[in-house]
Amino acid sequence: MTPLDQLLALSALTVVAVWLIGNRQVTGWNATILYAAQGVLLMMMSDLGYGEVQSIASSLTFKVLGHGLHWRFDGLSWFFALITIGAAFLASWFASGEWGQRYRAAGGSLRLFHVALALNVFSMLVLLASGDLLSLFIGWELVSWASFLIMALGSATATRYAMRYVTYAFAGAMAVLMALVMVYTRSGSFEFQDFRDAVPAMSSGSLWMIVILFVAGFGVKMALIPFHLWQAKAYAETPGPGAAFLGAISSRMGLFALVVVLVQLVGVERLADLQLVFPFFSARDLLSWLAVLTLIFATFTALRQHDARRLLAWHGIGQGGYMLLGVLIADDLGSAGGLMHVFNHATYQAVLFMTVTAVIHRTGTSDLNKLGGLVTRMPLSFVAMLIGIIGLAGLPPMNGFVSKWLLYRALIIDGSPLLFLGSVVGTLGTILSVYKLIHNTFLGQLRLEHVEVEEAPSSMIWPMMILSTIVFVTGYFPGLVLDWVASAQAAVGLPVLAHNLGGVPSHKGGLDMIWVVSVLLAGFGIGALVFFSGGRSKRVHQLDNYAGGHFLTAETRYQYSDNFYPGLMHLIGPWYRKSFRWLERGFVSTVDTLSQAMQGFYRVVHPSFYLLVAVVSALTWVVAR
Amino acid sequence: MPDTGLLLYGGAFGLILIGIAGIVLSAHLVRIIFAVALLEAGANLLLLLATWHQGAAAPIIVAGRVPDLMADPVPQALVLTAIVIGVGILALALSLALRVQRAYGTLDMHEVRRHMEQDIADEAGIDMPSSSHAPAAVQTARQESGA
Amino acid sequence: MNQLALLVALPLITAFLLPVVNRVSTLAARWLGPLVLLVTSAIGISLWSQLGDSAVAVELGGFRPPLGITLYADRLALLFALATSIGTLLLWPSRGEEWLRQSTLALILAASGSGLALSGDLFNIYVFYELVAVVSYGLIAARSSAGSFAATVRYLIVSSFGAALALTGIALVYQATGTLNLAQLSQLAPTHLNNLQGLAAFVLMLIGFGVKAELFPVNTWVPEVYATAPTRVSGLLAGVVSKLALLIIVRLLVLVFNQPEALTVMLVLGMLGVVTGELAAWRARDFNRMIAYSSIGQLGIMFIAFSIPGQAGVFAGLAVALHHLVVKPAMFLLAGRWQGSLDRLAGAARTSPLGAVLFILLALSLIGVPPLPGFWAKLLVMVNLMAQENTLYSVGAWVIMGGAALEANYLFRVASSFYHRSEQQTPPVAHRTRDLATASLLGAGLVAGAVLIMPLADEIEGVASQAANRDQYVQTVNPEALP
Repeated sequence: MTPLDQLLALSALTVVAVWLIGNRQVTGWNATILYAAQGVLLMMMSDLGYGEVQSIASSLTFKVLGHGLHWRFDGLSWFFALITIGAAFLASWFASGEWGQRYRAAGGSLRLFHVALALNVFSMLVLLASGDLLSLFIGWELVSWASFLIMALGSATATRYAMRYVTYAFAGAMAVLMALVMVYTRSGSFEFQDFRDAVPAMSSGSLWMIVILFVAGFGVKMALIPFHLWQAKAYAETPGPGAAFLGAISSRMGLFALVVVLVQLVGVERLADLQLVFPFFSARDLLSWLAVLTLIFATFTALRQHDARRLLAWHGIGQGGYMLLGVLIADDLGSAGGLMHVFNHATYQAVLFMTVTAVIHRTGTSDLNKLGGLVTRMPLSFVAMLIGIIGLAGLPPMNGFVSKWLLYRALIIDGSPLLFLGSVVGTLGTILSVYKLIHNTFLGQLRLEHVEVEEAPSSMIWPMMILSTIVFVTGYFPGLVLDWVASAQAAVGLPVLAHNLGGVPSHKGGLDMIWVVSVLLAGFGIGALVFFSGGRSKRVHQLDNYAGGHFLTAETRYQYSDNFYPGLMHLIGPWYRKSFRWLERGFVSTVDTLSQAMQGFYRVVHPSFYLLVAVVSALTWVVAR
Repeated sequence: MPDTGLLLYGGAFGLILIGIAGIVLSAHLVRIIFAVALLEAGANLLLLLATWHQGAAAPIIVAGRVPDLMADPVPQALVLTAIVIGVGILALALSLALRVQRAYGTLDMHEVRRHMEQDIADEAGIDMPSSSHAPAAVQTARQESGA
Repeated sequence: MNQLALLVALPLITAFLLPVVNRVSTLAARWLGPLVLLVTSAIGISLWSQLGDSAVAVELGGFRPPLGITLYADRLALLFALATSIGTLLLWPSRGEEWLRQSTLALILAASGSGLALSGDLFNIYVFYELVAVVSYGLIAARSSAGSFAATVRYLIVSSFGAALALTGIALVYQATGTLNLAQLSQLAPTHLNNLQGLAAFVLMLIGFGVKAELFPVNTWVPEVYATAPTRVSGLLAGVVSKLALLIIVRLLVLVFNQPEALTVMLVLGMLGVVTGELAAWRARDFNRMIAYSSIGQLGIMFIAFSIPGQAGVFAGLAVALHHLVVKPAMFLLAGRWQGSLDRLAGAARTSPLGAVLFILLALSLIGVPPLPGFWAKLLVMVNLMAQENTLYSVGAWVIMGGAALEANYLFRVASSFYHRSEQQTPPVAHRTRDLATASLLGAGLVAGAVLIMPLADEIEGVASQAANRDQYVQTVNPEALP
């Protein structure tokens, strides 16, 4: 058994074990331990992550209908697998304590939840290990249905959106299958290598078709515009830790598949050569713009949400745009930015979903209009969320800054000012909305009904703290992650980023996060020193109201959370015309009308008439030939 | 004197055409069933004619005398079987039509279909799909008076 | 090898003995039918293991073709004869008041179905086809409701119309060649039937026999019959009988009418079947008609697959057909307690958790989710369609994809309603144990197919290559025929 076999076997075993243990409190702890063991097995393959070994194959191979099926891990797979198992480990830990108790008491089945989670991990590992197009498709389908399972566990709303997801995802899967078959007819096999060899000979028409089909299929999972309608609500309504897991990694499987197909197999240069009808706009530009539009659209939609989970879920969609954009730039800086953003996003998105879940656990709501001032009650959660939003906004000293810096730098070098502008607009929206998130949850004045609220239980705080630490440490020493990113780049044939522990050394202005963060911290330190040594500060109680010269009693609470950013909303409101929803509805009603017509066809009074018509027209056709 | 072959072929195709026309154009169940019988008769005749020769003798060898031209016995055997099957189906169809008439009080294809749709919808517990022949208001009025 | 005739004769004799046996002992009569089918299944399996790559032809009564009646068994024919026996056994009618009549009819169905699969002669095919038809009318009307009588008589009319046209087609063939033996026809076809008359005969037979194979547009009986017939009978019709009719058409295509025009007609009608069936199913509001329309779509896929020329088409079509043969009866067995409005199914998973899981498994395989067998069948069809490098065939591939996407939507809309917790509504009653056990058996077969996909695929490919081998057919029936 190769290390990969061991990992996949253990992952499958986890599913079985969790099923056998059943709906009990220990299920979660056992699952957590098993994920840790998977992590250990993954670490035994860490040579992949440092580029010392090209790939590790699984000894499992099949030959069905003459098509070989095999699985292997390379640097890219290892990188994604690390995030997957890490997210599952922490999400499962988070779910094992009080959260699980309450979930079970409310009638949820911990067995189902943990089986769904374990199944997700297993199917993702299978997908990441795929060694040919057919096993890629099989892994893809496994991932799709496994994530449907975990989404369908949630409320009725989640089930409805999960249903929508199934529709999109399966239509997407059919698009992928179609693309695979088209590739097969041109290259004669499902092997990666044969596809790569066949690409130069393909006509640009058929390559366009193949690319569009692949993007449509895999884009569903990434919720790329215009396939984004399902994701936010489905993720948001998934049981808390499940949402953290899905938000961290699930959508990135779409990115993984796109990277494999577009970058590794078709090649970005070939995409750039694929011109649309008019010049200067290639397939690569089209995809880049799709990515940027997804980023802007999803981010500003997030800004409008007043449910914390939906806000985060929309950001998950938007940040996917950065990753795709980075990968499509395809130079060493940009693709490193895109790939590193996968890791960074997973860390802060998970921590943010966890803090929101912790808040729900304690207060029972995630409605941003009904929260506020929790900082005094849940300080550790506040710190975790603060670190998370700094990461999400892409500000130093957190890791999100590094990946965005790489991306912006690459966009400038690449000479794409408009794309750069689009990304900046996206970042602006991100900053505004994450401020809304932390302000409406933790800042302002505590609501009367939340006076009794306590800090989240330790089973939740620990995973949150670990993730926050990672967000900070990988921001301080980005080289830790860039090592893995570099070997992932090498695995798919992208130029490898030269880096050191602190960031990117360059004559033209590199990045040294150790220096940046140290200066930043020093600045804070000096500020704090001045602040505290001055002795001019006065400690004010949270409910000590003072406004416009008037003293108000503590009974009157100040809440700015309702109707946040009214001016901005007024400004951008008219842009939301729900055109995508209309598009979807239009499509559905077309199908409905057609369906009604077909039923009318089958409800004929006189079926023999059709027989006659069929015979006559077939005979006429035959004679006319 | 007209050519017998032409006459026979004309008869076979004529029967087939009359049968088809009867099936497609009638709205009355029993007429349709009889039209099916006519169609089958036409098809049988066509099968017989497939190897028909003018003046051929029956394919029976009597006292060692072999006729110069014999009719092909195979289609005759086949047609015999086909006729038997046809009669069986005719009987079954008529008995079913009788049961339909008893249940619905009509043999009109439109009415039968409507009643059947109604039965299926009632049993399934869904609304009856609106007919393509009548607007919804007429449909409900009909249902109220009919049922 | 004369055991071959037993596959037809044994159930037939038993069917007529059954009333007599019933006079003596009701218990014996109840068990006699299933027992005989068990025996014929065993005979079929033993023949299968003896057969290997060879084929056998049995001349009944010792008459040589074209006078004698030929039974021809290659692995394809035997497979479908076996499927008829096993299918009838699994879907044995439930024990109502009319059990005796229904058992008799079911036995005749098994006999004539096997006969249909094994016939090597166009006229016997016609006779067995009509026998199957008559028996199925009786089985459909078994519920004795007004709706079932009306549906039966409407089905009967269109089916007899089709059969009469098929008979006309047979007459045209006989007129051109002077034989109805498939082996001889196969030899004569290139010279005698490769013309307008031959094509006209094929069109007549395709549409005539297509009535049972749910071919568009002569399939309008499907929703009404499956909605009114007993669910086990519907399962039998959709699962087994439709495939038998399809088998005849495939035999004709491979052996006799091997012309591109014939394939094109089938392809176009198959595509229309997928489009209309899947679209109509999308809006169906009761369980039975939903799976009825979906079965029209699935049969459409089979027609598309069989329209691929050569052995590839037979292989692809056979894979889809066998998959459907397992899935559709199981679906109808689940319909036993779930028939009626789809709205009633909310919360069905509470009363019938196994049924809900089975439904999801079947639905996943039906829409072609790997690694279930349905995926491999669909992949095979897709790859071969695209390999034709022909616009019409590519359109066929797109149609199949679109149909699958629609099908996923409506099947999973139902599946997710199983798990809705609705307070106002009482979920449907749990399945009968016998239905559920049979459906589980079929579901287990599906899972086993997924696990054993490699040997299974090889086996089916072997069957298909034998079925596509015209020379073997001719030589087996008539050893002196070929040099």
